[in-house]
Amino acid sequence: MSAREPLRTNVVTQSLAQIGLCGLFLLTLLAAIPRSFRYLRETTRQLWFVGAMSLTIIMVCGLFVGMVLMLQLYHVLSIFGGTSASGMVVALSVYRELGPVVTALLFAGRAGTAITAEIGLMRATDQISAMEMMAVDPIAYVATPRFLAGLIAMPLLCCVFCAMAVFGGHLVGVTWLGIDNGTFWSNMTAVVDVRTDIVNGVLLKSLAFGAVVSLIAVFQGFTTPPTSEGVAYATTRTVVASSIAILALDFVLTAFLM
Amino acid sequence: MSQPRSSYAVGTGLFIVLGFAALAYLATQTSSVANVRQGDSYTLQAQFTNIGQLKERAPVKIAGVRVGQVQSITLKPDHDVADVTLSIDKHYDHIPQDSVATIFTSGLLGDQYVGIEYGSAKQIVADGGSLARTKSTQPLEEMLGKFFGAGGVVDNVGGSYTVKANFTNVGTLSAGAPVKMAGVVIGSVQSVNADPVQLNARVVLAIDKRYNAIPDDSAAAVFTSGLIGTQYVAIQPGGSPDTLKDGDEMILTQSAMQLEDLIGKFLVNGSSDKKPASEK
Repeated sequence: MSAREPLRTNVVTQSLAQIGLCGLFLLTLLAAIPRSFRYLRETTRQLWFVGAMSLTIIMVCGLFVGMVLMLQLYHVLSIFGGTSASGMVVALSVYRELGPVVTALLFAGRAGTAITAEIGLMRATDQISAMEMMAVDPIAYVATPRFLAGLIAMPLLCCVFCAMAVFGGHLVGVTWLGIDNGTFWSNMTAVVDVRTDIVNGVLLKSLAFGAVVSLIAVFQGFTTPPTSEGVAYATTRTVVASSIAILALDFVLTAFLM
Repeated sequence: MSQPRSSYAVGTGLFIVLGFAALAYLATQTSSVANVRQGDSYTLQAQFTNIGQLKERAPVKIAGVRVGQVQSITLKPDHDVADVTLSIDKHYDHIPQDSVATIFTSGLLGDQYVGIEYGSAKQIVADGGSLARTKSTQPLEEMLGKFFGAGGVVDNVGGSYTVKANFTNVGTLSAGAPVKMAGVVIGSVQSVNADPVQLNARVVLAIDKRYNAIPDDSAAAVFTSGLIGTQYVAIQPGGSPDTLKDGDEMILTQSAMQLEDLIGKFLVNGSSDKKPASEK
């Protein structure tokens, strides 16, 4: 998948070439899914690595995002005497935007970089070539399990993030600032809708972000120049490209789902 | 195969279970699916003619202290009042029968809740019983209407009958302005039109049916509430034994005073005591 050196003309053609190669790589990846079922254990191991091992950072960040959001909202809404609406606003903003986006950004930083660096080093130390020599398909054994793991882990992580954010908001709003517990929940349950907020917001967005981040991470790993400098650059590019892709895709998804 | 591999599997399984648990929590506890489940509580019924923005799970308070929550709000097809079920902590089960349930708003824009004010009856309301005395929420429009003296408070409660009156000048009187007797709103102005034949203003007043004993020689006057307030029609009762009927015309009317006229009179009369230029 690496091979040809992209045309060294300018940034635009280079980026376009990257996007085109990435799209082709996605097709190869999807075509390899049936073959990768033989390596289910590898997928499980990757799910453990990108999902379960990311839980700590996701939970802590979710808690603090919910807490700080509630604190800010409380101070603004108290001007209008509308502090009882702050729980509702925390839930809506986390479910619709902050949850999927922040989880995806953290996921790109925590798991995406690790995937790129691991695959890049595999290439640099000729492990990929060795697999090909042993008639093991590196796409099916290395790339697809990581891609699938990212795809499964992101929605789950996002749910955990959102639940922790609501818990953090409750902690600050009800326990500390003294919003009524029943008002907090009744406002929230009155506004949050399962389809538009939880299915469309939390699940669909995080699934799309999970696919994008995992694809970029695996693609960068596979196309990195097999040198230590190349691996370093590829890791950086994973974070940059993922962040841009997440935020741009978020806008598009919001525009379509609203 | 080996031990560490299977521990991966267990950890991954735990992660997946945790993720789905979080999803279930979001979907059932924080969304509209959430329903009421709680421990020791008993329920009371209360009927309100208008619940405003009251929502399920809104707090129920006694003396400002939260004692329960609104369990359900239903409207039966053949009723015009909402049935509100209150779920109250078992701890506070000594609510007198003549207590009043009121829908309050916390702050001007805040949320609504049900407040219970204790009555003085000896009997207490049993579990599942209902509070007979309720006070509904006050729509803001109605409150503003009362405040500004406009808007018919008794608009069509129990029906109304119409009475005509002719004025030579109605000032800024417009349809919807209140009709008052003894300062109390008893109806509203239905229409204000110019009469093409008599060349004056024909005003139709809609008066609540409850006030059907107004003598037919009563006078209607256009007054202004305050110096710059809105104008309304005041009815000054006469002494006739006969009463006004639907469609009757009021003979005695007093038109609106124009501020310019008043000032003009005052200046003319007050500054120079010469001659009564235009007394009346």
